Amino acid sequence: MSLSQRLAGSPVHLVSDRDAASTGFGDQLIAVLPRLRRFARGLTGSVVEADDLVQAACERALARQHQFQEGTRFDSWMFRIVQTIWIDQIRARDVRKEDSELAERLGSDEPVRRVEARLALDEVRRAIDRLPHDQRAALLLVTVDGLSYKEAADVLRVPVGTIMSRLARARIALQLQLEAGATRRSGNDAKAQ
Amino acid sequence: MQKRSDDRLIAYLDGELKTAEQREVEAWLASDAAARERFAALAESANLVRVAFDDVLHEPIPDRLIAAARGETILAQQSAQVLPFKTRQATERGAAPRLWWMGLPVAASFFGLLLGGIVAYSGISKLAPGGIAGKSPAVEMAAADNLWLENAAGYFKLSVSAGDGGLVDVPSTGDPREALQKISQSLPQEVRLPDLKPWGLNFKGARLVVADGRPAAQLVYTTDNKAIGPLTLIIGSSKEPDISPTLARRQDVNLLYWRHQGRAYALVGQSDIGYLWGIANDVAWQLDAI
Repeated sequence: MSLSQRLAGSPVHLVSDRDAASTGFGDQLIAVLPRLRRFARGLTGSVVEADDLVQAACERALARQHQFQEGTRFDSWMFRIVQTIWIDQIRARDVRKEDSELAERLGSDEPVRRVEARLALDEVRRAIDRLPHDQRAALLLVTVDGLSYKEAADVLRVPVGTIMSRLARARIALQLQLEAGATRRSGNDAKAQ
Repeated sequence: MQKRSDDRLIAYLDGELKTAEQREVEAWLASDAAARERFAALAESANLVRVAFDDVLHEPIPDRLIAAARGETILAQQSAQVLPFKTRQATERGAAPRLWWMGLPVAASFFGLLLGGIVAYSGISKLAPGGIAGKSPAVEMAAADNLWLENAAGYFKLSVSAGDGGLVDVPSTGDPREALQKISQSLPQEVRLPDLKPWGLNFKGARLVVADGRPAAQLVYTTDNKAIGPLTLIIGSSKEPDISPTLARRQDVNLLYWRHQGRAYALVGQSDIGYLWGIANDVAWQLDAI
């Protein structure tokens, strides 16, 4: 029993009319949930949005489980669903507004000196947030999840060469941003002294 | 010989080169100090990227996702996550940096008993005039909890929309403790003021609100840093059993709420969970509310 259940009693589940075959499919889904959440977290930059995205992906996968081809990689199929839903969502949003808010947030002077321990990883996550979504997805699949270029290309439905170029651009951009962050911090430290 | 470029180094790092290509890159690295430096920087940033998302793999899966994977629906589904506080030892001030990301164990999602339903009288009577009679206890609890969460988010949004001008009954002028003493006169228990200056948050003032049918204090904190604040901390009393800090989201606002020894707490703001959780740990430590 999970901690929340012990604390709060079991939530009320309504089981749908799915047959027993769904159980095996559901087990596969549950097994891949941690990686899906990590992928979604990287895409969205938000815990709540990421879990909403994964939940939507689970629902879509169950609705379309007949489309999954036995013998192919289940995780890649799920990554593709997450990515597709994410693309649909960002297309549906007011992208200009989002970008403006993001730029404002990123431009803010966070009290990084106060929360030193989280600085480096926070900066990495923010730097990833700044990447174009196609580069971000490639980076998350290959660098974070360890998929090969071919596997990532299958998930994103692009040629391997495209994955290579997206990854290179992402990694170089990330590198530049992290270097800039380090320079900025050392400047701030110098001022503080 | 392939073109020497970052692309080659990255593909080498990722193990995507054929044997002959690997040897070419290794020869290049052996003869070019600048390439070695570049390679090291790329490797380090790749490692940082991996580590930045490592914690997610170790977090408990929210119940709602497990339910979704099984094709089930959680009744009165709302996103809520239990975020256990760090132990007192781990939160000793000055003993260790605030490594919130090291210990962010996001436990399963749930929607059961919550903070005792901090609900404004008027809100309850208007929104649920006939009560929720006839429905199951789970539905009843979920509806009341939902009202409370909406209400807490509403208190926060009211204070934000009022800006610098108002919605603080007792402004923080001079000694901020004075504001708390005044507020405490209307409360069954004394309310202490958490110092959140290490987070860049300044105490703006306090306000009396209605919580769980009893008066409660709403402490308002502001900051120029939009990534963190403004924030509101609601402290009330409750007869419900203790619960771990639980995250929910209402009206585009994050709420982290918990109960401890007859006190009900809710930290409300638009900052991300990491900050909210870190600040809540700080509050809990300062108020001995763990």
